Amino acid sequence: MPLEVVIPEKEVQRYMGYHGIADITPEMQARIGKAIDQVGVQSHPRIISKEYRITVLEKSVVIHAGNEDMTLESEGLVRNLNGCCGALLLAATIGPACDMLVRRASVTSAADASIYQAAGAAAIEAFLDDYNEKLKKSYEARGLFLRPRFSPGYGDLKLDHQKDWFRLLDITKHTGIELTDSLFMVPTKSVTAIIGIGINREKTGCSGCSCCNRHDTCEFSRERN
Amino acid sequence: MGLRERLGKEWLFCDGGTGSILQGMGLKGGELPELWNLTRPGDIKALNKGYFDVGSNIVNTNTFGANRFKFDNVPEIVTAAVRLCQEARKEAGREDDAYVAIDVGPTGKLLEPMGDLAFNEAVSVFAEIIKAGYEAGGDLVLIETMSDSYEAKAAVIAAHEVCDLPVIVTMVYDEQGKLLTGGNVEGTVAMLEGLKVDAIGINCGFGPKQMLPIAERLVKCCSLPIVVNPNAGLPRTENGATVYDVDPEDFSEVMEQIAKLGVHVMGGCCGTTPAHIKAMIGKVKVLPFTAPFEKNDTYVTSFADCVKIGIKPVIVGERINPTGKKKLQQALRDNNIDYILTEALKQEEAGADVLDVNVGLPEIDEPSMMESVILKIQSVTNLPLQIDTTNIEALERGMRIYNGKPMINSVNGKEENIKAVMPLVAKYGGVLVALPLDEDGIPEDSDGRIAIAKRIYEAADRYGIPRKDIVIDGLAMTISSDHRSAIATLDTVRRVRDEFSGHSILGVSNISFGLPARELVNSHFLTMAMQNGLSCAIINPCNGPMMASYRSFNALMDLDPNLSEYISAYKDYVAGTAASSSGSKTSAASSGTVLSLAEAIERGVTGRASEAMKEALASGRDSLEIIDSELIPALDRVGKSFEAGTVFLPQLLMSADAAKAAFAVVKEAMADKPRVTKGQVILATVKGDIHDIGKNIVKVMLENYGYDVIDLGKDVPPEVIVDCAIENNIRVVGLSALMTTTVASMEETIGQLRKRKPDTKVVVGGAVMTPEYADKIGADAYAKDAMATVRYCDSVFEG
Repeated sequence: MPLEVVIPEKEVQRYMGYHGIADITPEMQARIGKAIDQVGVQSHPRIISKEYRITVLEKSVVIHAGNEDMTLESEGLVRNLNGCCGALLLAATIGPACDMLVRRASVTSAADASIYQAAGAAAIEAFLDDYNEKLKKSYEARGLFLRPRFSPGYGDLKLDHQKDWFRLLDITKHTGIELTDSLFMVPTKSVTAIIGIGINREKTGCSGCSCCNRHDTCEFSRERN
Repeated sequence: MGLRERLGKEWLFCDGGTGSILQGMGLKGGELPELWNLTRPGDIKALNKGYFDVGSNIVNTNTFGANRFKFDNVPEIVTAAVRLCQEARKEAGREDDAYVAIDVGPTGKLLEPMGDLAFNEAVSVFAEIIKAGYEAGGDLVLIETMSDSYEAKAAVIAAHEVCDLPVIVTMVYDEQGKLLTGGNVEGTVAMLEGLKVDAIGINCGFGPKQMLPIAERLVKCCSLPIVVNPNAGLPRTENGATVYDVDPEDFSEVMEQIAKLGVHVMGGCCGTTPAHIKAMIGKVKVLPFTAPFEKNDTYVTSFADCVKIGIKPVIVGERINPTGKKKLQQALRDNNIDYILTEALKQEEAGADVLDVNVGLPEIDEPSMMESVILKIQSVTNLPLQIDTTNIEALERGMRIYNGKPMINSVNGKEENIKAVMPLVAKYGGVLVALPLDEDGIPEDSDGRIAIAKRIYEAADRYGIPRKDIVIDGLAMTISSDHRSAIATLDTVRRVRDEFSGHSILGVSNISFGLPARELVNSHFLTMAMQNGLSCAIINPCNGPMMASYRSFNALMDLDPNLSEYISAYKDYVAGTAASSSGSKTSAASSGTVLSLAEAIERGVTGRASEAMKEALASGRDSLEIIDSELIPALDRVGKSFEAGTVFLPQLLMSADAAKAAFAVVKEAMADKPRVTKGQVILATVKGDIHDIGKNIVKVMLENYGYDVIDLGKDVPPEVIVDCAIENNIRVVGLSALMTTTVASMEETIGQLRKRKPDTKVVVGGAVMTPEYADKIGADAYAKDAMATVRYCDSVFEG
């Protein structure tokens, strides 16, 4: 399927390392615009998601997956999923084209390479935000409420759990995303996540930059300006 | 009767799903189903027998994921699977008309350059599975659920290298008929036909309804038997389990429609059961059968692009060929691949359809250069390539590693040459350029050339290379030494079209060697050749008059729908100027004022920076003086502002790009003189780590500050870094790691360096790095960004 969402320019700038307002030249704006167009046209997102029953314990979350149970130890995730009885596990990618655009740009211009990589990062996030929004509506129609998405490697949820995501969802077969031995995903503009499903609308204590263990130093924090 | 005798001559049926049935038997979500071949053989046999019982002719062994990345006993698992399938067939009483298919699925890893699995390693992974299956008595190899044509190619080569069993390949497309890696139906079929598989098809992905339009496309372009194995609809989850909704009745109804399109082998994939297959066979078996027939289209493909050789002439870019090109020769000697990639991208932008790749220089290792240049070019462009070499080893290594169906340049009419080249084309597939010359030289007239062309076509028949995949070279030779040579060439081109319905090609600019104003003769000759039926023109697509001829011809001959290509190329054309197709890009700043070199660098205006450098050199100034007094101080001012936080990374990078462009001008001007550098630095992204943007930025900055950088790339093993440091007596190594998982290999690299090259300093950086972390793993320094790396190197080399 084509990428049917707008890649927000502000987010691209944030991923490029612009914090807050900076005087972005018209030339730079044009280059960012071109990258957004190219990434938008060439991306072919794929997504797999499955819904599971879950049990939220004091310091861990248990996913009940068909014939087996999987335990995720993370206090951040426990806070995020508090009050949830189910969750969606998902994996999504905008496909390999963006990686090629970055490689191409690297040949001629370091600036363009960083612009394309930022546009790709913004694209996969925008795609998932849009997907989330649609899901939210369909769940709310059934009286259920979704939590913000939470990914392996974020907060105190170990990156090692990537392997569990790949195993449970059969991600490679459905989306073509590969997990390397050192836990990188290829294509690089890919995301795995869990989204809690609760019966109450609840503001959770763990989402966005605030719950990340690097939020003080991160170059890309939304809280910096 | 053997399967090959039956394929494409009668209805044959595959089996259906495996996973959902095993889950019903209690297979856990993450459990490896292939283990059951050893632990629960009875269940696997029952699974196979269920399909033999309902009439499947081709039943898969339970070996979809049985590769060495998941198991250390692959042969044992595969052998058991083949035996179980054979026993099931015997118990079902189907030994006379059913076949055991060695089932081969994807490795789960992506191949280089996208991922981290080397092509030849993928071949060996597949060979291990197929060899075990063949030795255990499998009847065919079924390569399925492939979403990357490159991986499918690796599996087919493996199959052909370990056995002579029939090979069937089925791919997974999305609803637009695209593979995950960007390839389409037509391109994949062209590549697989070239690789000489026995049948081609589609499986998995979605249900029969969604598959119908893709099956239609397959029927239109595929000359081989066609296989269609859909899922029982789109997957859906219910209580954590995957379910499929299309029931046997509905499934068989759509399969009946697909059968009527003219496909030849049908079965199912995820979610289908023996009941689905039984219902389908009942409906399809009674339908009339249409045998596959030869389609006449010629395609050259890459992993994502597919160029048709036919009525509209194809432009083959000639710039990547060192003959007579000093800069390219130097780039090849220096292993400066970036220069070659820049040439590739320039030609693509100028309108090339295919790129010729020739890396032949006496003093370089041509086979390994061919392999690495092809890999690198294919990592930055979708354009198909023409592998151009007289070195047979370079040709084979290039064809093997090539992702798609390449053009091959060339074979000629000499018996010895045919014997060397044609077997390779027969094995790997390709569109072969054939030169009509032989042991007696080049015939002067078209009669002689056509006679040799005929012999080459006949040789192709003997090697099983379809005539549509031969492109005859009309042999353009300069009119300055033989005044009738253009006439002979044009005659040959026309007769190839008229007498063989064949394709032709010309190295167009050869026609004008030794003449002034060559592009005048060249561009008119190109028009005349196209008018005589030329299929492919090897030219420099950056040459305005040549592209003007080409675009005008297409516009005049109704080969440019709505004249859109013509109009978009010449909408700003000014009469009286040379027909410059690419146009000169605006290099002055938009304000209209002319920037100095320093200003151009500070403001990141690349085009103006290189112009200003040219002007400075033209005025007689010394290049080193310009660098020291203008270029470096300008870069430094931006660097300091970046460090102070008043300039952001993108601006720093634009300045770096501008400085790089100015340096390129200096390099070109001093091509013959020894280079002055501050010192040599190795940069590498450590093993396991595949992100290299940060490292590339550091590289650009270091080069701008006068360092000679040996860039070892990404995912680099420790010993490669250490060996390189020893060999070149390197003082500073820069290492980059993005994730905690790869810091371990950074530490390992530092450890090995300390042991074998203790005087080398190590500076580290990357997203997860901190000064404390750097200290802990024994690095000499932590650099938080590219500027910090430059400062550190300065402190080592100047301190």
